[in-house]
Amino acid sequence: MTARGLTPSLLLLLLLVVVAGAGGARWRGEGTTRHLESIMRGRCAEYIARLNPDQRDKNCTALWEAFRMVLLRKDPCSVFPSDYDLFINLSRHSIPRDKSLFWENNHLLVTSYTESGRRLMPLCNVLYGRFGDFLSWCRQENGSGLDYQSCPSSEDCENNAVDSFWRRASMQYSRDSSGVIHVMLNGSEPAGAYPIKGFFADFEIPYFQKDKITRIEIWVMHDIGRPKAESCGEGSVKILEDRLRKMGFQYSCINDHPPVKLLQCVDHSTHPDCALNSKFCTRRWA
Amino acid sequence: MASHRLSSVSEEEPCCDISRKTKICLCVFFGLLIAVVIAVPVGILMWPRPHKEWKGEGTTAHFYEILLGRCYTYTQIVRPELGHKDCQKIGKAFTGAFLSKDPCSSTEQDYKPLMELTDQAVPCDKTLLWSKSSQLAHDYTRVRQAMFTLEDTLLGYMADGLRWCGDSGSSDMNYKSCPNWREDCSNNSFSVFWNTVSKRFAEDACGVVHVVLNGSISNTFDERSTFGRVEVFNLRPEKVHRLQAWVMHDIGSARSDSCSSSSINVLKRILKERSIAFSCENNYGPIRLLQCVKNPDHPSCRF
Repeated sequence: MTARGLTPSLLLLLLLVVVAGAGGARWRGEGTTRHLESIMRGRCAEYIARLNPDQRDKNCTALWEAFRMVLLRKDPCSVFPSDYDLFINLSRHSIPRDKSLFWENNHLLVTSYTESGRRLMPLCNVLYGRFGDFLSWCRQENGSGLDYQSCPSSEDCENNAVDSFWRRASMQYSRDSSGVIHVMLNGSEPAGAYPIKGFFADFEIPYFQKDKITRIEIWVMHDIGRPKAESCGEGSVKILEDRLRKMGFQYSCINDHPPVKLLQCVDHSTHPDCALNSKFCTRRWA
Repeated sequence: MASHRLSSVSEEEPCCDISRKTKICLCVFFGLLIAVVIAVPVGILMWPRPHKEWKGEGTTAHFYEILLGRCYTYTQIVRPELGHKDCQKIGKAFTGAFLSKDPCSSTEQDYKPLMELTDQAVPCDKTLLWSKSSQLAHDYTRVRQAMFTLEDTLLGYMADGLRWCGDSGSSDMNYKSCPNWREDCSNNSFSVFWNTVSKRFAEDACGVVHVVLNGSISNTFDERSTFGRVEVFNLRPEKVHRLQAWVMHDIGSARSDSCSSSSINVLKRILKERSIAFSCENNYGPIRLLQCVKNPDHPSCRF
């Protein structure tokens, strides 16, 4: 942010925001989630007890300790993906064949669609992904405790605790995926459905195991009632398709994969795009 | 008992007509008797008693950690406006309701401290009840986040899908088994909890209340269900002016109008007696779409 052309009232507003809101915050990102340990331990316990009992032998205390070590020993801008190696080694587990789902720019839709892993198992439904989903964490710059005020975003520094975590997790998820690979992209995203630089492009595709993958299925979803920025075979989606072809993968691309579109329509049931070809009438009775 | 003589006694001299050997035996015997009389009650009190065996599934593994983690997730992430709630206190109040107690004698009173700590106002017109339609109702509120099922409130979110019970003879949770409602006892800690929270959830509702019902079963309105026994009777007529039922039928089912069924008529009658209006819709559109997500190839689910 530059001070170019700032009027006195804008300056005052900025000052107020800094004092009241940020209050001297060091970084641009959200601070550590409160009660991080309890939340993470609880999620781990729930995962092994209920969501995926095949993993009941995992040790949640050891996982937390491995995670905590990274958190407390490293400077907030010097955390690398390999720092999480121990944590990943303790938490990794096999991913059922044909159940992997990669995505960009549609976290909530993915969460709704995958319903706790029963249909597909995206990264956030794998133990190590579950651990960190929707949470934020970092150590204080000058101190050994956690910083609850703010944490480095990718704009502050590349090697921050959260981004490095997801890079490492993404690499592992990719390596352990097999069979049919699904990819959900957002064709209404103005910046492009397939981010050329992003987790999927840089930390997932490069780690696909060619000998374990049969084919890749891309779904380009469009928001109901919003313009279609890109579709299959267009723009950044074409770049992705070219890349996969060059890598020797068999792939297919579908616009608005019906099961997912049906879900999007729940919130737009009266929109013409959501009309079902239905002979069943809904009869109102009062 | 032998009387004592102060004079020295030689080893061979008998005392009170009992031989020395017998005297030793008697002493040993009484000594053991005293030891047993003291040790057995102490042993009974101190020895960890095996939990009673019930017919139902035991307490969920890692119950307390899951409970606490969910409380923090809910109050810090899902509904941060409840960030002031004290999860440690709430966790302790929850376990305090059933630990060291007979799991077949649970009462609403046991859960009172917990209820007080987890009070939560649901906005009017946003309460969603359900009966024999759990998956569908919760899939719906996952998308329509402005609406709340009981399991979308703090306490429901914490307890959903978990099982728990204690034992009057122990301060531990019973992980092996817990009372089954039908085969063991109905006033068990698990059932009493859900009856208590369901009652409050209904009492707190206001405006138009919605309910998702299953039109593909015979008793669409089941008077023995929690909805039929507890919730319907605890809606407050002065706050709730209408109950709107969404009766969902399985995709591809021949049946499509359970709003006209006799069980729904029973529900209508009960509500009329309670001065609450009733309306019913078969296969409410948005929820129909949700059903189609799992059956996308069915003709009625095609765009």
